[in-house]
Amino acid sequence: MGSIREYFETIARSVVTLGDGFAVTLSYLFRRPNTIQYPDRSTRPVVAMLPERSRGLIEIDVTCCTGCMLCARACPIDVIEVKVEKHPDLGRMITRSAVDWSKCMFCGLCTEVCETGALRHSHEFEAGMASPLSLVMDFIDEPVPIVKVKKGEPPPERKPLGSIIRARLPGPWDPPPERREKPLPPVAPKAAAPATAEPKDGGTP
Amino acid sequence: MTDAVGREEIVLNMGPHHPSTHGVLRFVVYTDGEIMRKAVPEVGYLHRGIEKLAEQTTYTSFIPYADRINYLEAVFASQAWAMAVERLLGVEVPKRAEVLRVIAAELNRIANHCIALGCVAMDLGAYTPFIYLLRERETINDLFEELCGARLTFNYARVGGVSHDAPDGWLDKVGAFVARFDKVMAELHALISENEILVNRMLGVGVTCAADAVAYGLVGPNLRAAGVDWDLRRDLPYSAYPGLDFAVPVGGRDGRGVAGDCYARWVVREEEMRQSARLIRQALAALPDGPVMGELPKKIKPPKGEVYAAVEGARGELGVYLVSDGSNTPYRAKWRSSSFSAMSMIELISPGLMIADLVAVIATLDTIAPEVDR
Amino acid sequence: MRPDNDIRALVGYIVETWELSPFWADVAAAVVILAVAAVVFLAVMTFAGVLTWAERRVAGRTQSRVGPNRVGPIGFLQWVVDGVKLVLKEDFVPDAADGPLFRLAPYLVILGVFSAMATVPFSQVLIAADLDVGALFIMAITSLVVVGVLMSGWASNNKWALLGGVRSAAQIVSYEVPAALSVMTIVLLAGSLSMQTIIGQQGGWPWEWYIFHSPFTFVLFFVFLASSIAEGNRIPFDLPEAESELVAGYNTEYSGMRWAGFFLGEFANVYVMSAIATTLFFGGWQVPGVAAEEHGDSLLIQGLGLVIFLGKAWVGCFVVLWARWTLPRLRVDQLMGVCYRYFIPIAFACMLGVALYALVVPAGSLPDVAVHLVTMAMGAAAVVVLFRRVGHHARSVGDRISLAEVLQRGQRFEFDPSVQLRRYGAHRRGGARESR
Repeated sequence: MGSIREYFETIARSVVTLGDGFAVTLSYLFRRPNTIQYPDRSTRPVVAMLPERSRGLIEIDVTCCTGCMLCARACPIDVIEVKVEKHPDLGRMITRSAVDWSKCMFCGLCTEVCETGALRHSHEFEAGMASPLSLVMDFIDEPVPIVKVKKGEPPPERKPLGSIIRARLPGPWDPPPERREKPLPPVAPKAAAPATAEPKDGGTP
Repeated sequence: MTDAVGREEIVLNMGPHHPSTHGVLRFVVYTDGEIMRKAVPEVGYLHRGIEKLAEQTTYTSFIPYADRINYLEAVFASQAWAMAVERLLGVEVPKRAEVLRVIAAELNRIANHCIALGCVAMDLGAYTPFIYLLRERETINDLFEELCGARLTFNYARVGGVSHDAPDGWLDKVGAFVARFDKVMAELHALISENEILVNRMLGVGVTCAADAVAYGLVGPNLRAAGVDWDLRRDLPYSAYPGLDFAVPVGGRDGRGVAGDCYARWVVREEEMRQSARLIRQALAALPDGPVMGELPKKIKPPKGEVYAAVEGARGELGVYLVSDGSNTPYRAKWRSSSFSAMSMIELISPGLMIADLVAVIATLDTIAPEVDR
Repeated sequence: MRPDNDIRALVGYIVETWELSPFWADVAAAVVILAVAAVVFLAVMTFAGVLTWAERRVAGRTQSRVGPNRVGPIGFLQWVVDGVKLVLKEDFVPDAADGPLFRLAPYLVILGVFSAMATVPFSQVLIAADLDVGALFIMAITSLVVVGVLMSGWASNNKWALLGGVRSAAQIVSYEVPAALSVMTIVLLAGSLSMQTIIGQQGGWPWEWYIFHSPFTFVLFFVFLASSIAEGNRIPFDLPEAESELVAGYNTEYSGMRWAGFFLGEFANVYVMSAIATTLFFGGWQVPGVAAEEHGDSLLIQGLGLVIFLGKAWVGCFVVLWARWTLPRLRVDQLMGVCYRYFIPIAFACMLGVALYALVVPAGSLPDVAVHLVTMAMGAAAVVVLFRRVGHHARSVGDRISLAEVLQRGQRFEFDPSVQLRRYGAHRRGGARESR
């Protein structure tokens, strides 16, 4: 007798539990879907919808960079390439400021140590390239003097986050950039000295 | 192997590429038709040398690597690491940071169990609960993105505290999520948790008895489902857990099935999600003001010594045995992961099961390749 | 059986009108048969293709997402594009596979399923062949699928495929029994195996349908539904092709159009089984309020009958798709256990019940009508309970679409045309965007 009762109980339980499941899935036909077709249906570009602290591709604004190289030291995988050299007339100059996006793990340790805000995670994420070598993003075209920030004074105003990447992002099939320092500009001939102007070698390629 | 009447054993390879091994795990399965004789796991496909990397990075730089030991429960590994270094240094973590760590940890536990239960259902053929749970996980990912900037590998814990304080409005959003979460769990329960087909797939399958579980070093929800009442948050409390009130679900106590079967593991995880929501609610109410970073020396150079720090991760005890030699990089960091013990149990419980049951066992044990291989 | 819609009569008509010699009469017969076969084939292909689109759409909407929506309005042309893609794929036969068997298997599956379409009555005249043994023919011809599946499992030279093929063969053969018992019970009630006669015995109104004939037939419908889902290898009975357990079961080594053969066969099977369920249990093309004899005169009523039949069949298909995305799958021994321990005894019991009922209660009498109405009330009550739960779940989390929202389809998203026209990565192809 017990097993007959169990038999019908199993049938009843199956009908009830399966029916409840059916009710849940059918109810979703009357509910707003959670997804929208990307990117056509988004009301704003996704980049503008990300939260403020979102860690996207790293961007360096060299007009704020003091050349302290704390970022390169903080990075666990040595992704940031910074080189500072001294020019006799123009002072210390940044001859290389590049980030290897292909190795970056977006941890944010570099941005935590940058005091002026030159190096920050932008919200950009659309930077697919045809070759991983093209993912090394070079942020300067020519050597740039470092910025000196006096104690207690605010650092210079940084360009809007992401604008530098959008301006400089190469096309996916462009040839990858050269991975070397920019050569320092030649030293101007001194007025008093006789006429041999020696261009100083900016660095070994 | 051929037996007396000439029947052969089939050797099946549930290889590294398989839709239902979680990550790159390999099982060499010896079967007699549909019934398994032996299932031998092979690990190592996802070995990345994290313990060796620890010897070459500084203590703070290692935290992103710790996230990747188990990327589904990233907060726990980084919390364990931070706790270990803090114990070596003798640094005290401010209360606000501890409570924020607890909120992050419990959110991460919910997110992890979303994937765990979703994958169990998906491997057993019900694709829809997985999608619903992933939708909840998306909300949690959004919350984490607002908090610390990343959605999966958060890099949130730091030695001495946490990296970011909660932004404006974030605590309200967490509260709203938790309020909605109960209804979502009720819906999930109605859809799948008592579904007769699912229950019958999991009742009595892959039973791990309590003695075996303890002998094999099983931890976390797997251990609790086997009937052993052990939870690090309550039994070896750390962080802000002493002040919080929560229940620890143990398998086999009520409901159907025996302790240690797949259904018990499902029920325990489902209940843990509800308890995590309860913990988050209490933590939000108990959040004090204050700094989120403790007093730290300029360079983190712990004195010579060894320490073991473990947390109750979503899969169980996740701990690190840290040996410091006084320099700014560790001498040795050995990680104790929960999935490795779970993998080792599969060979014990698989004889006599069917191939379809093996899938259920792997899914409910919640073994995941990065944690097994580190 | 009306003589007008028999192929033989059509051929005879052509031969008479054009006064063809015997040789040309044979040619005319062959042409007519081929034409009808082509029409049936294309119809089934279209239905199967549209069903794949419907499956993906239903999958999307029940999973709180959107489903195909790029190719054509609401993604309706997705199945066409998928078909083109599959045709263009490499025809790959594994080296160690049994070549002839490997190549033959998909055709057997297609043959088994598409042939059943020949006896499905779309309306009173739209039926390719109104056989005297229609119901029996359908049960028999769909069993050809077993041969195809076993063949593909064996010939693939792949252990996973072999396991899938063997499981599938056992499953389909076992579930033929409860399905056949359900069909035979209806045949018992109708007194004939011919599909048109079975429909003719029912009526247009719901209480005249066989499903509400008595509680026994009501239960029998669900047995038939579950058995046909099992025969079609659909979740919850899809262990032979369980993606997460067997990679793809007997389909593993197939790609391109050969795989499409299996795939379309499965979806066509869903449609065929749904059409048969409509015929047997839901009154087929019967229009409410119009007796069967009056159908032949009016094109409008014939068309209405066609629409009604398709509507009922598509609702049945929806139920099968809905089940796929709700339920987990049964393990193979549980699958067989459910068949032999639950479905077959229940089917036998219901068959006995219907036989006794037919013996005791005269058709058309007051108790008979009362039983019809009571059964209909039972069914309606079940539907009401289901929809109450649906409403509860739809309102629980707060994302229910209101009717006002649906009516404002175009304004549901605040479209910004400049965003709408922007394509992924447009900023990479010329000009920097303005900074935000």
